[in-house]
Amino acid sequence: MITQRGFVVIFAGVLLLTSGFSFVNFYLVLLGVYLVIGLVITLPLFALTANLAGIEVDRQIDKVKVFSGDFLRVRVTVRNVSRRHFDFIEVHDQYPETWILAIGENFIASRIEPGSSVTFSYILQARMRGRYHIGPTEVIMRDRLGLHYYMRTLKAHTEVLVYPTWKDVRRMEALGKQRQLGLMFGAHRTKTIGMGSDFAGFREYVPGDEFRLIDWKTSAKSGNMVIRQYEMEKNIQVICMVDTSGSMGNGYPENTKLEYAIRAAVLLTHMGLERKDLVGTCTFSDIVHGFVPPGTRPNHMYDVLEVLAAAEPKGWSDYETAIQYVVNNTKKRSLYIWMTDLEESPAPLLNAMKTLVANGHKAMVISPFGPWFEAPVGQFGPVEKVLSEAVSEELWERRNKIARALARFGIEVINVGPEDFLPAIIKTYNQAKQKGVAMF
Amino acid sequence: MRAVTWILRIASVATFSAMAFLVYMFLDANDIWHWDAPYEFIVTVFRLLSLILFFLTTTMISGLSSALLGGALPNDLFVGLYNTLVLRQWYMQPYGIDTPLTNLQQVWTSFGANMSSVLFALWDNTFLFLYFLFAGIGIILFLQSLVRMDHKFVGGAFISIQAIIILASYKLLEVPNLDPFPTDLFTLLLNQYQILAIISFAYLEVSYQMIYSYSVGKPVEDREETLKKQLLALRQATRKQDAIERGEKVSSSSISRTTSAAAFSFLREAIERKVVGSTDALENLDAVSDVRRLQIYVDELLQSDSKAKDELTAKAAAPSSVYVIGSTITGSVIRFLSVIVIAFILMSPAVLTTILRLPIGIQNSMEIIQPEMMLLLFLPVVLLFPFAAMVITWFSKRPKEEKEELSSEEKEAERERKKDLARRRIEAAKARKERERARKKRSRAETEVDEWDKALEETYHK
Repeated sequence: MITQRGFVVIFAGVLLLTSGFSFVNFYLVLLGVYLVIGLVITLPLFALTANLAGIEVDRQIDKVKVFSGDFLRVRVTVRNVSRRHFDFIEVHDQYPETWILAIGENFIASRIEPGSSVTFSYILQARMRGRYHIGPTEVIMRDRLGLHYYMRTLKAHTEVLVYPTWKDVRRMEALGKQRQLGLMFGAHRTKTIGMGSDFAGFREYVPGDEFRLIDWKTSAKSGNMVIRQYEMEKNIQVICMVDTSGSMGNGYPENTKLEYAIRAAVLLTHMGLERKDLVGTCTFSDIVHGFVPPGTRPNHMYDVLEVLAAAEPKGWSDYETAIQYVVNNTKKRSLYIWMTDLEESPAPLLNAMKTLVANGHKAMVISPFGPWFEAPVGQFGPVEKVLSEAVSEELWERRNKIARALARFGIEVINVGPEDFLPAIIKTYNQAKQKGVAMF
Repeated sequence: MRAVTWILRIASVATFSAMAFLVYMFLDANDIWHWDAPYEFIVTVFRLLSLILFFLTTTMISGLSSALLGGALPNDLFVGLYNTLVLRQWYMQPYGIDTPLTNLQQVWTSFGANMSSVLFALWDNTFLFLYFLFAGIGIILFLQSLVRMDHKFVGGAFISIQAIIILASYKLLEVPNLDPFPTDLFTLLLNQYQILAIISFAYLEVSYQMIYSYSVGKPVEDREETLKKQLLALRQATRKQDAIERGEKVSSSSISRTTSAAAFSFLREAIERKVVGSTDALENLDAVSDVRRLQIYVDELLQSDSKAKDELTAKAAAPSSVYVIGSTITGSVIRFLSVIVIAFILMSPAVLTTILRLPIGIQNSMEIIQPEMMLLLFLPVVLLFPFAAMVITWFSKRPKEEKEELSSEEKEAERERKKDLARRRIEAAKARKERERARKKRSRAETEVDEWDKALEETYHK
């Protein structure tokens, strides 16, 4: 392949040749011949030596699973396994578009001797959760004068799984530390009176109470039979139902409804694990994409993160299939927190809730309201503004109807925007703890 | 590699100077290097313009006045006064005429006579001016090429200097010419014009080699420099954040003013997030935290891995200077020799007649000593090289894009994944149908409406 500068040489050669012919000047013809011959003479030799199959590229990364916002070092080793030297070689290692090159450069240009290798590295910041590939690597070989080149793309991909961001957890922990409070800050223990060893108070004796619980001293003082009450701490079981249908992907790239729902799910799981509660997670659209049953295993958090990392906004929301699957795989009574934008037909949602309630579970809906996640109205022109307001009103009306229908059965719908999504989930969890919803 | 680049830079200066000097020397016989040529050209252009303007204004004013005076041309007094008071006052009298022209006929005669002489002078001066213009452009581009290390400047400088000879040939001046073309290789080698040709070619070769040595060594040097700047900027940013947290007064934009920070996209983005998103405290917190975490990550990396810094700078990738200079010399010499020999074979009529066994009539004809004759061999020979390269490439079968080969386990896993997805879809569809059937059946069988359905009905159909 002849490069652009090679074509400049051809142009100069042809100019000199034609001028020489026109003015019967052998000097100009000779110079033109020099240029054209000088350009093509090395072509066969270059074709013979420039066998890029002799170049091997090996890529190594520190970790294959990182959190969104974490840094990752990529080491690229370029090896010349052939017996020929490569005069000028350019290696471009490609990385996902949404990531940021934090330190170093992702390409190198150098010459490489036979049997030798060149290693370079760079540091990337992984942005946005998901499954990404680093690579392919583009290798361009040029001759010394830069007149010819060969290019090859090596499809060596390195897969990296980017977990959802951990910054919310970090932020929450930082705030907790600043206030010199422990993990239980803001959260209340769920207590049940009856069994247990912690003294809770007295109450009057009713027939059927165990005699050993009667407090004789107090009974003697008051003149009525009084029994001692004890309380026991209980934990709750929560299942986070994350809707990953196409409509959840609307909004700014890193601030879609789905991204917030995922961040909320991470936060909820973390809080639950810290307080020894059981938190499960299910991602669904028209099928169930992933389900991590409630648990407290050491790797539980990573299982949840993997399921959430792989979530992609596509398809439509089939609430019934999702709930059928989860109910079949869950034994105990649970609190189901739905994170859905309620933009699908309401009948399947009500049917799903019916199944839930029939199975003795509790439910609530945290619903991101679409227009609050999309472009601010201020950025629109007058026509777009009117249209967006009309659409917003219709959507609002529609979700109010659904909320009213669900409220009849004690299922609360909380409308949230980007600012109050995470506080809403923390509040919901704390309230559930206080009320002792879905204890096990 | 800097030393090699400097050596080649000096060689480039030497070859360009030699080329320019030889062109100057060979064309000097024509007495074209009048140093006042550019001035003469500009003066002639202005002379022409003033002549045209004078003619136009005088004719226009005369036409206007004749229209106002009922069709009669203005008298000599009027034309004389206009020419003296207006045109001469404003230096718009044609060059070479001292006294103001008072008669309109005189103006037109003068215009006709002067116009042709000025145009001829302009034609000659244009060429003289162009020689200087091309020389000037050539020198400017050459100087640019030394600093910017770009091929287009080298090519431009070469073409500009050779364009002087092309122009001189057009003007039929005495220019370097190898007519008749030497029949002996050694005679060709020692010919002064051939030396100019080979020096011109050498300028291109040496300059391209200079750019190669620069571009092969520079990225590694740049990498090191960039890394230093990035680490320094990162350190400064972290210190400033610390100072802000301690409550010390630090101007918020001072980080972005540092040049190193501006060259660092990650930090720049972090600063932008901090400055632009000043109203959002959480966004600030993120930006600050990102910079600090990067600092910690880099510190840990440099401490734990002794090779980390060398790998980030790719120090080991710097090629050996000795090899580069050695291979430059051998490569260039081989190229020079082969180019001269092939050019001689292609251009020499004696070789041509021997190789092609041309009929005696053609051998003795005038056509054989014409430059176009070389095309007989030139085109096939020139096309032979790319053809050979194409055949080699074809035989070596090198794919442009490598196809990723999945291992049998990976293929199996992918198949399983797709199968599982399809199974789940089918199951979900089946379950949906089942539910639908059951619902229909129930609605037919039950007379009492389910309270859930009732709620839905009430909400949506009232």
